[in-house]
Amino acid sequence: MANLKDKYCIVGVGETEFSKNSGRTTKAMAVEAVRKAILDAGLKASDVDGMMSYQNGDSTFAPFVGPDLGIRLNFYMDVVGGGSSTEALIGLAIGAIEAGMCKTVALFRSMNGYTEFRIGGTGARSAAPVRGADLAQVPFGMRSAGQNFAMTFMRHMYDYGTTSEQVAHVKQAHSRHAVNNPKAFEKKRVTVQDVLHSRWICEPLHLLDCCLETDNATCVIVTSAERARDLKQRPAYIMGVAGRVSKPRVDYHWAHGPISRVAGYYAKDIVFGQAGITPEDVDITGSYDAFTFTTMLQLEEYGFCKKGEGGHYVSSGIIELGGKRPNNTSGGHLCEGYTHGMAMVVENVRQLRGTVDDTCPGAAEGKHTYDYSPGKCRQVKDPEITMNLGWAMPATGSALIMRK
Amino acid sequence: MPQPVTYRGMALIVPDNDTEWKEFYEHARAHKLVVRKCKACGLMRYPALHACPWCMDLGWTWQELSGKGTIYSYEIVHHAIQPGFKDATPYCTVLVEMDEQRGTPTPDESLRIIGNLVKPDLGFEDVAKAAIGKRVRVVFQDLADHMALPQFTLSGEPDQGRVWRLGG
Repeated sequence: MANLKDKYCIVGVGETEFSKNSGRTTKAMAVEAVRKAILDAGLKASDVDGMMSYQNGDSTFAPFVGPDLGIRLNFYMDVVGGGSSTEALIGLAIGAIEAGMCKTVALFRSMNGYTEFRIGGTGARSAAPVRGADLAQVPFGMRSAGQNFAMTFMRHMYDYGTTSEQVAHVKQAHSRHAVNNPKAFEKKRVTVQDVLHSRWICEPLHLLDCCLETDNATCVIVTSAERARDLKQRPAYIMGVAGRVSKPRVDYHWAHGPISRVAGYYAKDIVFGQAGITPEDVDITGSYDAFTFTTMLQLEEYGFCKKGEGGHYVSSGIIELGGKRPNNTSGGHLCEGYTHGMAMVVENVRQLRGTVDDTCPGAAEGKHTYDYSPGKCRQVKDPEITMNLGWAMPATGSALIMRK
Repeated sequence: MPQPVTYRGMALIVPDNDTEWKEFYEHARAHKLVVRKCKACGLMRYPALHACPWCMDLGWTWQELSGKGTIYSYEIVHHAIQPGFKDATPYCTVLVEMDEQRGTPTPDESLRIIGNLVKPDLGFEDVAKAAIGKRVRVVFQDLADHMALPQFTLSGEPDQGRVWRLGG
């Protein structure tokens, strides 16, 4: 989208509470998140004429959310998918607007990810009949996301000497970020040792290498830069987008090529090429943390360090607030809540605006101390460019670069 | 359609029109590990794709493998998700690189198959014995008249390349 760089923006963001007991439907949560994003943008319901969502048979479709808010849609599209969908759908929203199908798109993900449909694969999902592609791995006790991805990390350890201790720094960093995020579900500082001493789930994954499962809805609103000019918030301009970029065998990610390689290998030239920047230009990353090691794998594959040096990168202090390039300043999926990636885009939009909600005394007035100790700040000082690295699985990823 | 086969509480469903799996399992029941081999370029693939991912040809034949390979990666499940595996923890799932077609057609390619690491009698193996680089051979777990699962057991052959296990 070289010729579309900076021509589209995210102008509104919103979310519900992150909980393990929403006590309401995905429809109710989606309506709240979309409404908040519309109000955040300073739009009216009648200004939104496009709506998209993604889900796994666990949510409410866009045409059943729009009417609750009095929104008549010129375009709607609901797709199957989880992680890495946000970035890809932002690209599709730009395409729909560019094609003249609509003018402003609200994009949501609503999930009772703890009380109704646990992505971890427990409950009714674990007893579902096994057929087709699943026969290659599910009969062998390889069903959940962790079980599906663990061999990738294990082989990375073998190929590059990456350690459990190195990736545990991802949880430690994100937990420090979450402590200063009033919205975060888990506001507790966790150390590397806490991670290493937590019980095994699926070696090489400890319990605290795994993200949360929560109930919540999130929304972002995409429109043209021209339309954004007279809206309430400073726009987050979209410089580049890629997704869902796949490895050659997206069906069986372990069947093809080196399994310690992930989809970012193929996505990076697309997204950096559009944006005309390099990893060095990025101030904040949002590398999807379904697990500690997914953050690491993507950061190295997109070139924030050399291939194989991701373990060193994430344990060096770079990814922490106050470090050179903090990652998931909200606490991410490991600590804030599980949204299939959308909350990480929401966070980066707020970072670019300079208006993250944190525990600084003057946060409500947008005054930040840039003191990242517990109970203080999580706003990065004057970030120019953010990047989201969305993860679905080793063989599928998406990416989004934004600027202020 | 044949009745679903129940294994560890899971209904495994292979309808008659599932040409990817039906004959694969029938061969496995005869204790043969087979993969599809392209009639045009001769390259093999697993699982059974309907065209050749290397040359797109539609022609193929079943090719029996030796059943020998090396552990390429593995994981040890301590917290089972599926109810039928709860009493089996910790268990080891392995990704095996088969001897045939290693490093072909590119150095990073090989035929890889997933199974559990089991003892020769099909009971789950001591997970401490799992390691990348260990040699394994296929064994078959009979589930029904028309179906068996391929599993892998340590063959005792000399290790291949560097042997490594987490924490080992």
